[in-house]
Amino acid sequence: MSEKTPHRRPATFKLDDPGVVVMSPDETGRPARGTVQITPEADPALLPVPIAAPRVLARRGFRWGALFWSAVGGLVLLASGLGAVNLIEDLFARSETLGYVALAFAVAAALALAVVIGREAFGLARLAAIEKLHQRATEALRSDDRAESRAIVNDLLKLAHQNPQLARARAALVSHADDIIDGADMIKLAERELLAPLDEEARRLVSTAAQRVSVVTAVSPRALIDVLFVFVAAMRLIRQLARLYGGRPGTLGMLRLLRHVIGHLAITGGMAVGDSLVQQMLGHGIAAKLSQRLGEGVLNGLLTARLGLAAIDVTRPLPFTALPRPALGDLAKDLLRKRDDEA
Amino acid sequence: MAPSFSDIVEEARLSARALLDYGDSFFNPTVRLGVTGLSRAGKTVFITALIHGLTRGGRFPIFEPYASGRIARARLEPQPDDAVPRFDYENHVRTLIEERRWPSSTVDISELRLVIDYQRQNGADRTLTIDIVDYPGEWLLDLPLLNKSFEQWSAESRALSREGPRAKLAAPWHEHLKTLDPEGRENEQAALAAAKLFTDYLRACRDERFAMSLLPPGRFLMPGNLAGSPALTFAPLDVAPDGSAPDGSLWAMMRRRYEAYKDVVVRPFFRDHFARLDRQIVLVDALAAFNAGPEALHDLEAALTGILDCFRIGRSTILSSLFRPRIDRILFAATKADHLHHQSHDRLEAVLRRAVAKAADHAEYAGAAIDVVALSAVRATREAQVARGREKLPSIIGTPAPGETANGEAFDGETEVATFPGDLPADPEELFNGGFRGLSSTASEQADFRFLRFRPPLLERTANDEPALPHIRLDRVLQFLIGDRLQ
Repeated sequence: MSEKTPHRRPATFKLDDPGVVVMSPDETGRPARGTVQITPEADPALLPVPIAAPRVLARRGFRWGALFWSAVGGLVLLASGLGAVNLIEDLFARSETLGYVALAFAVAAALALAVVIGREAFGLARLAAIEKLHQRATEALRSDDRAESRAIVNDLLKLAHQNPQLARARAALVSHADDIIDGADMIKLAERELLAPLDEEARRLVSTAAQRVSVVTAVSPRALIDVLFVFVAAMRLIRQLARLYGGRPGTLGMLRLLRHVIGHLAITGGMAVGDSLVQQMLGHGIAAKLSQRLGEGVLNGLLTARLGLAAIDVTRPLPFTALPRPALGDLAKDLLRKRDDEA
Repeated sequence: MAPSFSDIVEEARLSARALLDYGDSFFNPTVRLGVTGLSRAGKTVFITALIHGLTRGGRFPIFEPYASGRIARARLEPQPDDAVPRFDYENHVRTLIEERRWPSSTVDISELRLVIDYQRQNGADRTLTIDIVDYPGEWLLDLPLLNKSFEQWSAESRALSREGPRAKLAAPWHEHLKTLDPEGRENEQAALAAAKLFTDYLRACRDERFAMSLLPPGRFLMPGNLAGSPALTFAPLDVAPDGSAPDGSLWAMMRRRYEAYKDVVVRPFFRDHFARLDRQIVLVDALAAFNAGPEALHDLEAALTGILDCFRIGRSTILSSLFRPRIDRILFAATKADHLHHQSHDRLEAVLRRAVAKAADHAEYAGAAIDVVALSAVRATREAQVARGREKLPSIIGTPAPGETANGEAFDGETEVATFPGDLPADPEELFNGGFRGLSSTASEQADFRFLRFRPPLLERTANDEPALPHIRLDRVLQFLIGDRLQ
């Protein structure tokens, strides 16, 4: 509204009045003179509201690993100060306080090491539990066993409890626990309620990583940097996905996951020829003709996306049944669209 | 005025109660939400929409705990006070959705407890209890009386009744007042007649054409269960503000009843429901004042300032929450924002900001967080552009309530109309300087604003569930009022 217009008087028009024409927003024709035209507007309250993308859960407790390395570092420092051979005894001989300090560092190092080992073990156990859950769910989907499906959903709820964004979904699921629902349906329901938001997030993670890889490949000056970056990005992606779906892999857990992912990739690799990858590669062959670097970038991005999809299959606690499995084609579309937006 | 003995006793009572509540809140975190608003401001509809939205699921994208899925569910629980009626939520929802009528005006106090199960950002499961009280808005006008003597109140009421459009309405009462001798013998019939005429005058001021707000004492308009009792049978007298009443006189009787009114009616109401609030929302129906005229707007401003002075507002500290709970967040909401096109909402907010400027400054100075929004708890209209010749009017479409009139035509409650209510000025001072004409001074064709009353929206009922109520900015209100308690 411009500031200059004087105060406009109130006015009211009946919609069924013959002098009033109700028009739809995309209608452009000019109705007869002397009529009053009313154009309903799109409801601003019903337009999609941008909501900040939910953060991936990043919870950090006390950093025992850091403590371990600092403690070991402290010990090494002490040792290099006094000589490494008879460190503790010498220290006690020289001054009791220093001796105790050294002892304390040693104890702290031992403690932190124990915790790190414990966490690794816990992470591995957790990964194993998720794998087990996946297998049990596959089995239950086939056998349609009600009791078994309840047990699986209970385990799944425990797993999902660490993700606060799923509180409502969990409550909805719990409210259905006593309903009469068959085994396979129960698992499908759980998948729809609990995993839909996570799948969305996972897809976003994979396409972001793929996009990053493709951009870096396209601009990096040396092949070695490419390789290094792709490796780091892949590791990061797998870790993020595992965390998203409830696993908490440590170093050993990551190695194990990586082995599974690569194994999975090898099994499903044969299918890749059959699906849309061929067309993608053909299409990008043309891009490569235009610019070799661009083509390489897109190809590397697609490979990362494939790796990400394999990682989703491995880390997801339930098999894809009710929800569609994200396809490479979708991700490639995301990748190219983003590229276009940036251009 | 030096604190009297009864004031000190009252303070001690409030502190003891606060201490009890504090202990309780350790095990059961509770937010006491004060829904404050004069009559017809929309308290009942607001509470109904809030409960409906949280329990049945509404569109609340801005309300973070809800939008991000951390709120598992919200449910109603038995209220803490056994002596207070329950807020009739189910009936109000039915009235709104099925009969498409607004709930009729509240005549007595009622209460409801809402419990929210949620998960904190760090993953812990928690519940938050919200206690909400609904009451007739008229009663709120009594709070400023707590600090006034009978003589002060008489003087103020007489002065007020001679201003602007009130003088005409108060004429019969003025006539009767002249015949009374305050120092004469006490006379029940004279008191009854005076109280009746005074009540008639207050009631006349509430008419849509005048829409006055500052009309104490509130129980005269909405007596609740006290109708006809001596505590409600008094009226202002023509007495000197600092004089003292002879024994056995009419003056002494009136004064005694006024004090009884404060002790029996006002103080318990304040103590039970307002002294212990944590969060407050002040609902203000500015549109009725625009309809009526500048006098109504000034009246609204004065009434709000007087009421808000009675609340304890300020940053909460440990000590204050132990002994003297304070309101640390206060939200001013201009209700019925759906009666305006959304382009005008900023201007409506500016008007409200200006009307509550004193109270808001005071609250901000004391350390409380404040916010001003244009709110519609239940949205009754859609928006449209009306082209008339070259003129484009940002309008709204809705179904006016039966009996509403515009351009000399009465509506039947079924026809939809598009209406442009008039431009709000960019600078709110223009309104407060009396730069517009309302129904109190002119015919409806000449008025600068015309806000029709609309029926609640027609909602499509899904197969098994009650539909969500559309709203404007209810989610923002929730985020401000309780969002931080759900982190």
